[in-house]
Amino acid sequence: MQRRQLLQLSALGALPASMGLFQSTFAQTSGAIQFGCPVPMSGAFAANGKYADLGMKLAIEQYGTALKRPLAYTLLDTEGKPATAVRKVQESAQQQGTRFFAGGILSSEALAMGKEAEKAGGIFITTAGADEITGADCNAATFRWSVPTFGAIEQTVRPLIDLMPKAKRWYTITPQYVFGDGLLSAAKNIFKEKGIEHVGNSYHSLAEKEFSGYITNAIAAKPDVLLLLNFGGQCADTLRQAVSFGLNKNMTILVAWASGLEQFESLGADLCEGIYFGAQYWHTVDSVLNRDLVKRTNDTFKANPNYSLAGSYICTKLLIDGIIKAGSADQKAVIAALEGMKYQGLTGEEEVRKADHQVLKNYYLLKAKAKAKMKNKDDYVDVLSSGRSFLPVDQTGCKKA
Amino acid sequence: MNIYLLQVVNGVGIGMLYFLLAVGLSIVFGLLRFVNFAHGAFYLLGAYFCYQMMEWGSNFWLTLVLVPLAVGAIGWLTEKLMLRHVYDTAHEFHIVITVGLALVVQELVILQWGPLGTNVAVPDVLQGVVMWGSFIYPKYRLFVIGFTAVLAVLLWWVLEGTRLGSAVRAGSESTEMVSLLGINVFRIFSLVFALGAATAALAGVLAAPIRGAEPFMGIEALGVAFVVVVVGGMGSFGGALLGGLLIGVVQSVMSTLWPEGARLMIYIAMAAVLLLRPNGLLGRKE
Repeated sequence: MQRRQLLQLSALGALPASMGLFQSTFAQTSGAIQFGCPVPMSGAFAANGKYADLGMKLAIEQYGTALKRPLAYTLLDTEGKPATAVRKVQESAQQQGTRFFAGGILSSEALAMGKEAEKAGGIFITTAGADEITGADCNAATFRWSVPTFGAIEQTVRPLIDLMPKAKRWYTITPQYVFGDGLLSAAKNIFKEKGIEHVGNSYHSLAEKEFSGYITNAIAAKPDVLLLLNFGGQCADTLRQAVSFGLNKNMTILVAWASGLEQFESLGADLCEGIYFGAQYWHTVDSVLNRDLVKRTNDTFKANPNYSLAGSYICTKLLIDGIIKAGSADQKAVIAALEGMKYQGLTGEEEVRKADHQVLKNYYLLKAKAKAKMKNKDDYVDVLSSGRSFLPVDQTGCKKA
Repeated sequence: MNIYLLQVVNGVGIGMLYFLLAVGLSIVFGLLRFVNFAHGAFYLLGAYFCYQMMEWGSNFWLTLVLVPLAVGAIGWLTEKLMLRHVYDTAHEFHIVITVGLALVVQELVILQWGPLGTNVAVPDVLQGVVMWGSFIYPKYRLFVIGFTAVLAVLLWWVLEGTRLGSAVRAGSESTEMVSLLGINVFRIFSLVFALGAATAALAGVLAAPIRGAEPFMGIEALGVAFVVVVVGGMGSFGGALLGGLLIGVVQSVMSTLWPEGARLMIYIAMAAVLLLRPNGLLGRKE
């Protein structure tokens, strides 16, 4: 029942959003510092967007005011499409004076929105994964909290190869867009370095729901490890269908970028058992801020925070902290305040790297445990390892200065 | 076994589900000339009702019977209380009202079950895979192929071999004539609409253990259903079957030939059919 309460709260926000009518109750306040939450509220990644909305809401409610001005936010449905996302950011900047945006679940929309926010004199912070966001396509107004694709692969593929040195044949299933390509490219580099045979890859479109054809390709290639490089609902569908084909019995499955607790809730412990997952966040991480967020989320929503909620919360919190530190809501002042900022984050000590606006934080390798071994309803995994892997600034390709 | 042969078999499995998804939409359009954009919502309800019944401890087989009946009843009521009153209006109005209905159903599902997807377990007896050399295929998907094939025969018999079927077929030619013969056409309309909703719900129940249940599956399913109906021919039972199988096989085979374009290929196949046969493979000229 606890989960349902959280979901119902989310759903209350979803009804008007899907009808294009959403505007936060806070958004009406005059003189407010306006935030935007541009995330997919419809389409394949809508569930992530709905939790991201709750994360921003939580942070805005927690602070209430900054610089003696009320905080307000507007939910913007990007539909997971870059063109829609850019239009929503433009409209929000022009019509409501929004300058601070935290969102962009998908890399393609995040890349587009970052450029638009900069043009609008705002700041954009995201959890999307493509290396380019803080790499070749970085800009002065874009920040990223999550570990990019390079680090996600380094912290999952590399330790798994070390765990299973005899698993020499790997097959990949990859969504064909900048995020998937980033993960695939990073994985191929490690395969080459470690002498792993990449026995095949199936690209799929972002609209795909039927993965049995790709799974059939994987079966035919007879790999030791199936590496899934897709995200959210698509990853859940691939995994569900891979397990139905018995792949979990015949090979090791690694999901490089899991969407976290919501994915386990959606799939269930039985289906996930024995599968490896990479994760940006897990609610049991022992840090001051995370303990506070877990308590806050449980008090408000009667549930533990998942990655989408936590990511949106920390991104919004970072922006607010930046505004407070700068003593101003001016774009350049807030950027300067955020650059180089060290803080106690959800994953422990975190730092906003000045040169590329990438937050330096941990990434986790998880292994799903058997249902019988779960100590509570959210105890789906054992955390096998964690660590930080980031390209040195001179290799990111970021030239924002 | 050759990879392409594997993909053809897999495509048949996908195609049978597509057929079941589309056949109701096609029959409803054939009889009522009504474009039902709420069809995916019945599929969605089918999947979620299945999930809920199994949460309550019901077995899968019971859901396979009860859920289509329940959703069929909802379809019947929808037609009787709402849609019947707009048949005489323009197609644009049909679209607006059924899209609205689909959105309401979707948001009600989110309100009740939340925005996250849920898993529906495969029945114990159908767990596991069948292995034949290098051919590996889930038992459950084989069951779906067999079950849907039997159902297709049954539906064909209802439409071709019963008085109800005769009335439906006659009604799709001329409702005025059927009415003049003393048949209550509105009752036929309601029954056909309920049948369409029930088949969509059945597709939802069968798809749930494969794809889970998630609130946005109705929209995605509607897109595929329209492709199948357009390819097969609006209003054609055989067309829905042929269209479903064709689209399923194209999608599956293209997963090997051109993986990144597999999804796109179902729309390219539709465009190709429309260019060569504007009324669909088995559609009639208006």
